[in-house]
Amino acid sequence: MGDQSNSPSSSIDSSSSHPALCSTSSIFQTRRDLLSTDLKLGLGLSTSALHGCSSKEREQLSHWPPIKPLLRSTLEEKVHRSHSKTFFVKVYMEGLPIGRKLDLFSHSGYDSLTRTLRRMFRTTIICPDTSRVPPEKAHVLTYEDKEGDWMMVGDVPWELFLRTVKRLKITRADKC
Amino acid sequence: MVRGFGWAAAFPDEVWEHVFSFLAADADRNAVALVCRAWHRIERRSRRRVFVGNCYAVAPAAAVRRFPEVRAAAIKGKPHFADFNLVPTDWGGGAEAWVEAMAEGWPHLEELRLKRMVVSDDCLELIARSFKNFGVLSLVSCDGFSTAGLAAIAANCRNLRELDLHENEVEDNCLNWISHFPESFTSLVSLNIACLEGDVNTSVLECLISRCPNLRTLRLNHAMPLEKLVSLLQRAPQLMDLGTSKFSADHHPELFFKLESTFAGFKHLKSLSGIWEAGPAYLPAIYSVCESLTSLNLCYATIQSPELFKLVSRCKNLQRLWVMDLIEDNGLIAVAASCKLLQELRVFPSDPYGVAPPISLTEHGLVAISAGCLMLHSVLYFCRQMTNAALLTIANNRPNLTCFRLCIIEPHTPDYISQEPLDAGFSAIVESCKDLRRLSLSGLLTDRVFKSIGASANRLEMLSVAFAGDSDAGLHYILSGCKNLRKLEIRDCPFGDKALLDNASKLETMRSLWMSSCSVTLGACRQLALKMPRLNVEVIDERRGRPLESWPDDFPVEKLYIYRTVAGPRSDTPPCVWTV
Repeated sequence: MGDQSNSPSSSIDSSSSHPALCSTSSIFQTRRDLLSTDLKLGLGLSTSALHGCSSKEREQLSHWPPIKPLLRSTLEEKVHRSHSKTFFVKVYMEGLPIGRKLDLFSHSGYDSLTRTLRRMFRTTIICPDTSRVPPEKAHVLTYEDKEGDWMMVGDVPWELFLRTVKRLKITRADKC
Repeated sequence: MVRGFGWAAAFPDEVWEHVFSFLAADADRNAVALVCRAWHRIERRSRRRVFVGNCYAVAPAAAVRRFPEVRAAAIKGKPHFADFNLVPTDWGGGAEAWVEAMAEGWPHLEELRLKRMVVSDDCLELIARSFKNFGVLSLVSCDGFSTAGLAAIAANCRNLRELDLHENEVEDNCLNWISHFPESFTSLVSLNIACLEGDVNTSVLECLISRCPNLRTLRLNHAMPLEKLVSLLQRAPQLMDLGTSKFSADHHPELFFKLESTFAGFKHLKSLSGIWEAGPAYLPAIYSVCESLTSLNLCYATIQSPELFKLVSRCKNLQRLWVMDLIEDNGLIAVAASCKLLQELRVFPSDPYGVAPPISLTEHGLVAISAGCLMLHSVLYFCRQMTNAALLTIANNRPNLTCFRLCIIEPHTPDYISQEPLDAGFSAIVESCKDLRRLSLSGLLTDRVFKSIGASANRLEMLSVAFAGDSDAGLHYILSGCKNLRKLEIRDCPFGDKALLDNASKLETMRSLWMSSCSVTLGACRQLALKMPRLNVEVIDERRGRPLESWPDDFPVEKLYIYRTVAGPRSDTPPCVWTV
C-alpha cells in the first residue's frame, strides 16, 4: 500500500504535477472563484480528462486521509495556487546527453515556447505556424504525453497541451 | 422499590414534572420512564428535547406521538463515513418524513437540528410555514437544498434567533435570499453562512446586522472582500463569535488600520474562525483580540509557521485550537508554553496527498502539548510519523483524554524508530485514559491492539478503524468488550463473518456498525439479519447488476451498514442499497 513517491517535488517524472492540475478542476466545478489567466487552465476541463488524470495511488487509497469536503477543496485550491506559479518540464535535444528544464507556465503559447527553446538550444525549431526555415537546418519539437506517446508540439490548443505534456524532445527535422 | 402506583399518586403530576425538569440527560429521562406507568406517562408528556441519533431507528410518527410536547429536536441521518465520500450520495437520510411528522404533531417546535441529512427546499418551506414560534435552525453536513429554501426561512420565521449552516452543500440559485428577512425582523442572535459559496449582498447584510442588537455570532462566507468585511463588522462590535471572510487583499495601509481598529473595538470576542487565505500582511490586525479568545479556528488559514506562531502565542486563554500542520512542532511547543488552558487541539494536514515538500510536524509536537496543557482532553492530529514511546508519554501525561483521534497519513505506518506496530502505544492510551469516549486508530496495528481496547476501553462510545488488524480476532475483541460502544466504523480491515455472527447480540446494544472493504460475505449478512430481527442489515453495492436475491452466499460485501431499529426495514432504499 505505501508506494507513495518520495521524489522531490521538482522532479518532473513523478506524477505529482498532474494530479494537482487535475484536482484543481474539481474545485472549479464546485466553487466560484476569482480567476487569473493562470487559473484559466481549470476551465473547460471535461470530466473524462479529470478521471484520466487521477494517479494510481489516489485510486487505491480512495477517500483517504479522512478530511471533510470543505477542507479538501480549500487545500486543492491552495495546491493549485502553489503549483500554478511554475510547471517545469525537461527538454532533451537529440545528440545532447543532458536535458534542460523549462517552465511552461511562464510562456503564453507556442510562439513564446519556441522562441525560448531557440535561445536555449541555439537552433531553429519548426512549429506549424512558423515554416520559414529550410528543413535540413531545423529541428522539430515533439512532446511525450501522459500516455507515453510522442506527439508533434503545436497540434493541440495550448491549454490542452499544458494538461498532457510530460516532457519535450527536439529532433532533427529531416529525420521525421 | 415500592410496587404499585400508590406512592407516585402521593404528589400531583405537576410536581413530578417539576422534579423531572431537573433531568437534562436523555439517559436519565429514559430511566425515569421505566420506573412505573405513572412516571412513564408524566415523563413523556413533559419531555421537551429529543435526540434521534439515527433517523431510521424509529418511525417519525411514533416519536412525535410518544413525546407530544417537544420543543427542540435533533436528528442525524447518514453514517459518519459519508463525510469522506464512502457512502453513496443517494443512500438516504431524507428529512421529509421527519419534517412532515413534526409539522403535524409538534406545532410548537422551536428548535430543529439536522446533521448529515438530505434536506430539500420543500422541507425548508414546510419548516418555515409550520412552526409559529420557530427559533433555531441548524443544518450540519446536509445537502439537497438551495438558497431559495433559505429565503423561505428568512421570510417566514418571524422569531428566528439562530440560523446555523455548517459545512453544507448548498446550491446557490437565489442570490438575494438575505433580503427576504423583513424589515421588522430583529431577533437574530446567531448567523452562520460560512459554507455558502455565492456572494452575499453586503449592504443588505449590513442592514440586517444593524437592526439585530442581540447578534452574538456571525460567521461569514469566503466570498466577501476584506474592505466590505470591515464596514460590516463595524456595525456589530458586540460580537462574541466571529467567522471572517477572505483575509487577504492587496496591501493597503489604510485598510489595515481600519481592520485593526475594528478588531480593537470587539470587547467581547471569544471565538474567531474563517480567516480564509490569510496573508501575513493582515494577520496582525487580529492581535488585539488574541488575549480574550477562547476558541480559534485556523484550519482554513494556510499561513506559514512564523506568522502562526506569532498569532497563537498571544492567545493565552485559548481553550480550543484548530490549526493546520503548518504550525509545525516548534509552533506546538510554543502553544504548550503559552496556552495553558487548552482543552481541545485539532491539527489538520495542509498537504494530505504528499505533493509538497514535507513539513516538520511530528509526534514531538503532540507530546509537547500533552505535557504542557494539563486540561487537554480532546485531540485530532494528522501527522506522518509516530512512535510507541511518544504515545506512551502522551498516555501518561494526559490520562484525562476523552477524545483521541490520531491519523497517520500513510496507512500501515509502523513506529518509525523501532519499526514495530503501534499496538503498544494505543494500548497505553486506552489503559491510561479511563474516560476515553472516542478513539480513532491509524498506523500499523495488529490484533493485539484490539485486545487491549476490548479489555480496557470501558467508556468508549465511538471507535474508528482503518487499515488495521490481522484477522477476525480483532473485531471479536472489540465486539466482545467495549461495554459502552455505540458507534463502530471500520474500513479496509481483514474482519469477516465469524466475529460478526459470534457477536450478533452486541450489535443491538449499539447505534450502528459500518464496515467497508472488509471480508464480510453476503451469507453472513443473511444469517445475521435472520438472527436479529431488530437490526437493519444494509448491504451497499454501487456496481449494480442483478438483485441481491440472486447473489450467492459467498459474494463479498463491499459496504455494510448495520443499525438497530424499532421501525423495521426502511422504504426509501435506493437501487444500490439492499436491506437483507
